[in-house]
Amino acid sequence: MTTNPLRNHANRCNALKSTGPRSVAGKRASSQNSRKHGLNSPLDFESSSEFQTLVNLIAEEGFSACVCADIAAALLNYRRVMDAYYETYISPEPVDEFMHDMDVTASTPIFKELLSSSGSKRQDVRKMATFFAHMQRQERRKGGLVSRRSADTHKLIRYQRNGIARLSRAVRHG
Amino acid sequence: MPVEDKSKSLLPFLSSPKLLPDESEAEFQLGLQSLLSELDNPSPLAVALISQLNESLWWIKRHTKDKELLLHEAMARLLSKGGSYIERYNNREVSAALEHYLDGRADEDEAALIDVILAESKLTLSDLRVRAFKDAAKHIKLVDDLIHRQHQTMRHLQRSIDSVDYKSRLIKRMDLELAALESKQSVQGALTLDDKSS
Repeated sequence: MTTNPLRNHANRCNALKSTGPRSVAGKRASSQNSRKHGLNSPLDFESSSEFQTLVNLIAEEGFSACVCADIAAALLNYRRVMDAYYETYISPEPVDEFMHDMDVTASTPIFKELLSSSGSKRQDVRKMATFFAHMQRQERRKGGLVSRRSADTHKLIRYQRNGIARLSRAVRHG
Repeated sequence: MPVEDKSKSLLPFLSSPKLLPDESEAEFQLGLQSLLSELDNPSPLAVALISQLNESLWWIKRHTKDKELLLHEAMARLLSKGGSYIERYNNREVSAALEHYLDGRADEDEAALIDVILAESKLTLSDLRVRAFKDAAKHIKLVDDLIHRQHQTMRHLQRSIDSVDYKSRLIKRMDLELAALESKQSVQGALTLDDKSS
């Protein structure tokens, strides 16, 4: 828990050695690290077989070829949003059961024992307990599984709104 | 093509229904078929839109269930504190007991546990519900937003279905009028030919 200038310097030097991925495949993989649902990346629906089949089905209703393409693309786009919505709903951020349920006050002797080998002071034990209490508060604030999945799916509302507006516009103005 | 076949032929392109393990596919399909039966010979596009509408209805059901679960979660959290600041009872144990208690299938031990904690906390079940609602208000608001969004989506879909249905009826009517005009013209043509020959 104590800050050591030498240790800090060594950490900085080591960090400079990390230059990230070097191969093309590695760079491609790491470019997707921050990807969450992929709804911001544009998709080329027109080259898919589903698109052509949908266009043919919609064309039976007397829409022009251009409108058919618009409707099919809007429908596939809306499906993409709803599929991401479902995936987000079924895989929320997991609850850290240990952190959620631990009794921080009762764990002080364990912290003491853990820190005793490194010759730490009473102050460090208190700092560790405060840190764990803070982590626990954060974990509990997020709520249970249901709260988490609601919060996660809530982030996709705007994609859903745009998707359905596009579909509705394509159908009604066609 | 019958309505069922139309919906089946479209579903692979619009992804098959994605259900949770405890949900019934038969119930989902029943909802879809009942919506489809509202329209007289729906077009493929109408079928596609109706299947999206059915999915929105399904999401509303899921989110409404979640709202109740959130309330139970908050009630269990309050109960596990037993009126004090820190947790005095095992949250999971209390949560399970409360769920059974509210469903009316709690055994004697579970009912006794809930009654004891309620007495300790000096709360009735309705007080507990009100307090839990207050605690979980932030999360419940999120679920309300999700439900509202599904309602808006349904409104968009409804308007689109109306537009498709109106368009197909208009085309049918114009076809009939055109056919009537053509037959009238052919009759008139035959009459003028008769006049000329006489």
